Amino acid sequence: MDSLFTAAVAGLSAGGAYAILGVCAIFTYRLVAVVNFTGAAIGAAGTFAMVALFELGMPLLPAVLFGVAAGALAGLAIGLVMTTWFTGSNASTKAAVTAALLVGIIAVGLRLTGGQHPHYFPEIIPGSAFRLAGVEVTWAAVTTLVLSVAFTLLTEQFLARTRTGLQLRALSQRPMAAELIGIRVRLLALGVWAVTGGVTAFALMIIAPLRSPDFASLSLLVVPALAAALIGAFSSFRAALIGGVMIGLIEGGVSAIGPVSQYRGAVPFLVILAVLLWSQRGARWDEAR
Amino acid sequence: MKHASFRAAATTALLLAVLGALIFFLLPKYWVFLVTAVFIVGIALQSLGLVTGRTGMISLCQMSFAGVGAWVTGYLNLIGAPGGLAVWMLIGGLAAVPVGIAIGLPALRLRGINLAIVTLGFAAAFDTVLATITFPGQTTFTQVVRPEAFDSDKGYFLFVLLTYGVIAVVLEFVSRSRLGAAWLAVRHSERAAAANGISIPRAKLSAFAISAFISGISGGLLAGYLGTLVSENFSMMQSLALFAVATMAGAHFALGAIAGGMMIVLFPELLRRLNLPQDVGNVFFALGAVQALSTGETIAETWMRLARKLRPTRAVEAATAAGSLPDKTSHPAGIALEVRDLTVRYGTVTALDKVNLKVPAGTVVGLVGPNGAGKSTLVDAIAGFLYRYDGSILLNGSPLEAISATSRSKLGIRRTWQTTRIAPELRVGEYIRLAAGPISESELESLLAWFGCPGPETLISTVDVGTRRLLDVAGAVASRAPVILLDEPAAGVSYDEALKLGERIAAIPETFGSAVLLIEHDMDLVRRACSAITVFDFGRVIAAGAPAAVLDMPVVQKAYMGVEFEEAAE
Repeated sequence: MDSLFTAAVAGLSAGGAYAILGVCAIFTYRLVAVVNFTGAAIGAAGTFAMVALFELGMPLLPAVLFGVAAGALAGLAIGLVMTTWFTGSNASTKAAVTAALLVGIIAVGLRLTGGQHPHYFPEIIPGSAFRLAGVEVTWAAVTTLVLSVAFTLLTEQFLARTRTGLQLRALSQRPMAAELIGIRVRLLALGVWAVTGGVTAFALMIIAPLRSPDFASLSLLVVPALAAALIGAFSSFRAALIGGVMIGLIEGGVSAIGPVSQYRGAVPFLVILAVLLWSQRGARWDEAR
Repeated sequence: MKHASFRAAATTALLLAVLGALIFFLLPKYWVFLVTAVFIVGIALQSLGLVTGRTGMISLCQMSFAGVGAWVTGYLNLIGAPGGLAVWMLIGGLAAVPVGIAIGLPALRLRGINLAIVTLGFAAAFDTVLATITFPGQTTFTQVVRPEAFDSDKGYFLFVLLTYGVIAVVLEFVSRSRLGAAWLAVRHSERAAAANGISIPRAKLSAFAISAFISGISGGLLAGYLGTLVSENFSMMQSLALFAVATMAGAHFALGAIAGGMMIVLFPELLRRLNLPQDVGNVFFALGAVQALSTGETIAETWMRLARKLRPTRAVEAATAAGSLPDKTSHPAGIALEVRDLTVRYGTVTALDKVNLKVPAGTVVGLVGPNGAGKSTLVDAIAGFLYRYDGSILLNGSPLEAISATSRSKLGIRRTWQTTRIAPELRVGEYIRLAAGPISESELESLLAWFGCPGPETLISTVDVGTRRLLDVAGAVASRAPVILLDEPAAGVSYDEALKLGERIAAIPETFGSAVLLIEHDMDLVRRACSAITVFDFGRVIAAGAPAAVLDMPVVQKAYMGVEFEEAAE
């Protein structure tokens, strides 16, 4: 039981990162109406930019800042594709575009980073913060958790209280109408892409040392991210936050149970399956069908 | 229709035979070996085309299904099960079916994006599982035994080609059947499909099950092709690349599947010969898919469009009556459709307020009223597309509450939509059969001729909107339902055509036996077609009775035309 608890706590930092990724996925879906399969790949691009700069001898802090900027740029690039050619497309087409782009990004990423070639991932936030019932809780875990909570609350407040937030909500509900009343729709949409790109990059930097650190594995963290977003029904940031942390904890717990520890990668899938089966109870005819 | 699918199937079979003979006799052994992979990937692509291209659900785990098939094939090989590869791969395909259904289940009543998420999740999970359990015989290097008659590389090519041919021909038949039409209808509009009595869950699940089966077979073939397998053959990246290529090439067309297979297999070969890294291929596929999605046209569709341009253009042929229409269907006399105290609220807005309406059997009843009066809400409620309403709706005296849209349609309430929702990839005959169910060739022809529609082999995408509106009505009528709800059938139709349409609608009860509830803004059409009309305004019935009398009532003129009482009286 104790080992289970230890392992679950070990899943905390991953959980925090999933939560951030999940909140970003909802952010993108709610504001620019795209279910984004490239979310984690964008973050991975930023993370590897940081690693490359660090390996070239740049101190950690500027490397991290440049990495976050690179993530924002990568997000911007995807945003440019989406806003240039797919503004009027339906949700399904947009999702298909990001799924197709994911293949290309992973291919480019693997090539640039040397495939499975090992890189040194500096621990951005090293060390142990405190002991909880005899279990070490790392600073990385504390940071991702605090960051995910802060990001969730900030996003909520920003959308609810600021003028830009109001414009963003208008953009998400009726892009055409928003454009007609003079909101700079494209600029805002690109802003959303850049912000999610930067935030995702930072989240991945923190947990990259805990993962098999190749470009493809980091890109595929989009699966737990979307699972967390589904828990929030692609609308509730808080539910996604809790969902992401839960997925991390369950993964951690599963990896402590001997016979099934190998299968912890299947946890997000089972969560997705359960959430979808549960959420379609009340499905009804809407315009989208 | 039947002979059309035979012709298409025969063409496919013949083309494959010629292609196969050319490859078999002309190409050197190395290239035959490579081309074998083209057809194996082609089968996987066809399976993906079925779900994604035809039914419009994004599947990102197609290679995982193939992996299930390959794993089972490898296992049967290891234990030396009887029957050989042909039987093993069939069992492998069948083993993938329950997996496919289990993954399809959560996406049944939700939109396609959810399926994309759940399939990506499955692909990731399958990767972990496969990496752990490994393929049967992987560690002992046990080769999967090929069928004795097809043991050489050239022989195995024939075996793969034969399998590809059987699958392609069967798919040709299925895609032209009512099930195939149902898939396209579901992709285009689930609501319209349900209104034609199609069970959406059944259509989606069948697509997923058949797709998983075919994909499983491709996995079995791959096992025989490579001998030993590793989990990387079926990784998530492979599934994603397959998705990108299917999207780019148009894998739901036989042509697109082969073109896609060639790209996946031969492009890396080309890159290898040019001393370029082979993973550049995936970048190319991603860009190609994005390009195809932005233009809305796949490579296969582009080629077919260009080929059509080369052929002399044929004018759209009108249907010619092969014989007289069968006698009208007899439905129970009395009130066919009755609406009692129907109330519908959207939040605080009351869209319909205690509405009462009767449509006697064998009549055309008009329903008019200004925009926003609640006419289409009434149709939605009757046809079963509203989640909740108060009051009751009765078909031939029996209440319809708690009955789904699909079941109501099957019971005999058919509707059309304000804008046409016919899938443009269908042919005229396929759409009518989709709407009507089993219907004889001569009845189909005479029905189309009666409405002045084009012939059954005409592609919907080639006919104008006015004609599609006619087909909407023709489809509903062909089902011989006791009650037909027509929602502004003349919208977008020219004045002359609208008058003709009015005559046709007026004749529906005596010719086909159905009662009609007609919503229309064209008053000439309404006068011509209806024996009684009901007028709505702000969700209430404000007048009902004989057309001439009702339309002259001041309250109706005020509501409908905005004419003030005094002006009208003058």
